[in-house]
Amino acid sequence: MSRHLLMRLQAPLMAFGGETIDNYGVIREFPALSMITGLLANALGWRREESERHDRLQSRLIVGARLDSDVQRMREYQTAQLFEKDQGWTTFGQPEGRAASPSYSMQPDGRKSLTWQRYRDYHASLNVLVALRLESADESPTLGELADALDRPARPLFIGRKSCLPSCRVFAGWQEADNMLHALQTAQLPDLDLRFRLQWPDGEGTLAGDRRIDLCDERNWVSGVHGGWRPVREGSFTASGVRQ
Amino acid sequence: MRLPRFIQIHTLHTYPAALLNRDDAGLAKRLPLGNAVRTRISSQCLKRHWRVTDDKFALSRLDVPMAIRSRATLEHISKRVQENGISAAMAQAAAEALRDAGLLDKGGKDKKGEDALKTGQAVLLGKAEIDYLVKRCTELAESAADEQVLKTDVAKALKDEKKNIEALKHGSGLESALFGRMVTSDILASRDASIYVAHAFTVHPAQVENDYFTVVDDLLHEAGELGSAGIFDTELASGLYYGYVVVDVPQLIENLEGIAVQDCFSPDTPPARRELAGRVVQHLLHLIATVSPGAKRGSTAPFDWAKFVLVEAGDWQPRSLAGAFHDALPLEDKHNSGTIRQRTVARLSDEIAAMDEAYGAPLARRFLALDPVEVAGAERTNLNKLADWARDIVQQGEC
Repeated sequence: MSRHLLMRLQAPLMAFGGETIDNYGVIREFPALSMITGLLANALGWRREESERHDRLQSRLIVGARLDSDVQRMREYQTAQLFEKDQGWTTFGQPEGRAASPSYSMQPDGRKSLTWQRYRDYHASLNVLVALRLESADESPTLGELADALDRPARPLFIGRKSCLPSCRVFAGWQEADNMLHALQTAQLPDLDLRFRLQWPDGEGTLAGDRRIDLCDERNWVSGVHGGWRPVREGSFTASGVRQ
Repeated sequence: MRLPRFIQIHTLHTYPAALLNRDDAGLAKRLPLGNAVRTRISSQCLKRHWRVTDDKFALSRLDVPMAIRSRATLEHISKRVQENGISAAMAQAAAEALRDAGLLDKGGKDKKGEDALKTGQAVLLGKAEIDYLVKRCTELAESAADEQVLKTDVAKALKDEKKNIEALKHGSGLESALFGRMVTSDILASRDASIYVAHAFTVHPAQVENDYFTVVDDLLHEAGELGSAGIFDTELASGLYYGYVVVDVPQLIENLEGIAVQDCFSPDTPPARRELAGRVVQHLLHLIATVSPGAKRGSTAPFDWAKFVLVEAGDWQPRSLAGAFHDALPLEDKHNSGTIRQRTVARLSDEIAAMDEAYGAPLARRFLALDPVEVAGAERTNLNKLADWARDIVQQGEC
């Protein structure tokens, strides 16, 4: 039996980001390993340039998730006005902006701008239980340090995007279990006759009717891109099935 | 002692027959939540209206004390350069050169010592900007033979990357300190937003109706033509909206003052360095309470002041009270237990009491309300006092 830290992700809006191409911010059903890494690093107060710490934490994390409510997707439409000469400064001495393009049109004040349209998908009204543990367990941050950081985070916690603010305490206690699947099947089961969907790392238990898939949800925190594949399993069960 | 690391702001606003925020089909934005679909106002929409409002508490009226600020910034840079092993004289020369070369001033004035630090236009340099300037000054000081050479070198460096420095100054305003800024590929230059805004949503099922309207052409009418020149429809929604905002106070201070997050509340940081952050929070509270978002302002006049504002301060994990409205409030109540607004505030109060009982997280709280309601562990007050209280706890560093 090993100890698993539980997190409750609950909010009117959440976003488990997938591969964003162009202006479409799509989401996945389950939180990515990189998102959980980022959420914990945020709680610990790490800065984004501390990429090696992020990489190390991500490689130690064993994470699974259970959906405690139905998934409802919602597409948010946004517009932003961009000006042709907008530039941001950089630490390498040259400002960075966008290339000139015929898409910009003249505004009454003489500046050229365009209206950028963005689509962002969200999970509406979702409730997710996340279980996690660390290998090796003795290294810092430990599970205990993560629990403390979640209760007293260095920055506000958010679930995928900054507007997705949790509506409950994120740290949700502990669960002793043989493996990740066992933890997800036994921890804090709601009193509902719902069919729960789960995702857990391959090698952490099997469930009748589950399937193994390869997932690209690890971020290389130095280069800032996602890469590599890791095997996970997805399946479902009913609480009454477990209770029997 | 509790640090006011997070300031959480909960609001209730009433907007009847308005189209506050619409999607690409022109319909009111919606949110399926719990047992009912609601209407919604996006965080982007709310932030934009707080940002562009021009009233007494506009962000542009914060009236940053220029001389004090630029002196503090240059002293801070000089101190940081010395921490990198550069002598006090050389560090001072580098800071003076930054000022003379136009970083903080109109430039062209060759002032020395105290004078050099006292004058100049303020730029709100965040930690990323100051880190960068300290690094450049340190590099130049390490290779310069004496103070005069260093001054020339710093001036030349600023001139060589004129466009980058202009972008740096341009991106260092109040707005980016609050709401973040356009991101470049350079993560070291990024500035995180210090204000987190949730989408606001109605506490009850969406109340939407189709507004059918025609446009009458008076000239055609006079000429004897019948009918209208156009037929349209649009959606109008009515609602009582729950809004939620979190201010990350250390991040705000870092963005405004260039102080590292972990030092914002340390005993070495004088309260004066938190003064501006405190006033920003004060202004923000007024803006959140009194500025309305909205499209179709001319035809629907969607202007409202908050009917309820609750402010919480402390260092526990911020969490919204959205859970109180997971089950939508019925529009009518058979038990006649008050107006929907009173029932809404009662639900919020119950949610807070339940959270306190479950978690015992100690938070300092104050609220304003139009209705005769009570909130667990919170003192009742008015908007001015509420905003002043928030300002003072940021500056004092305790709540």
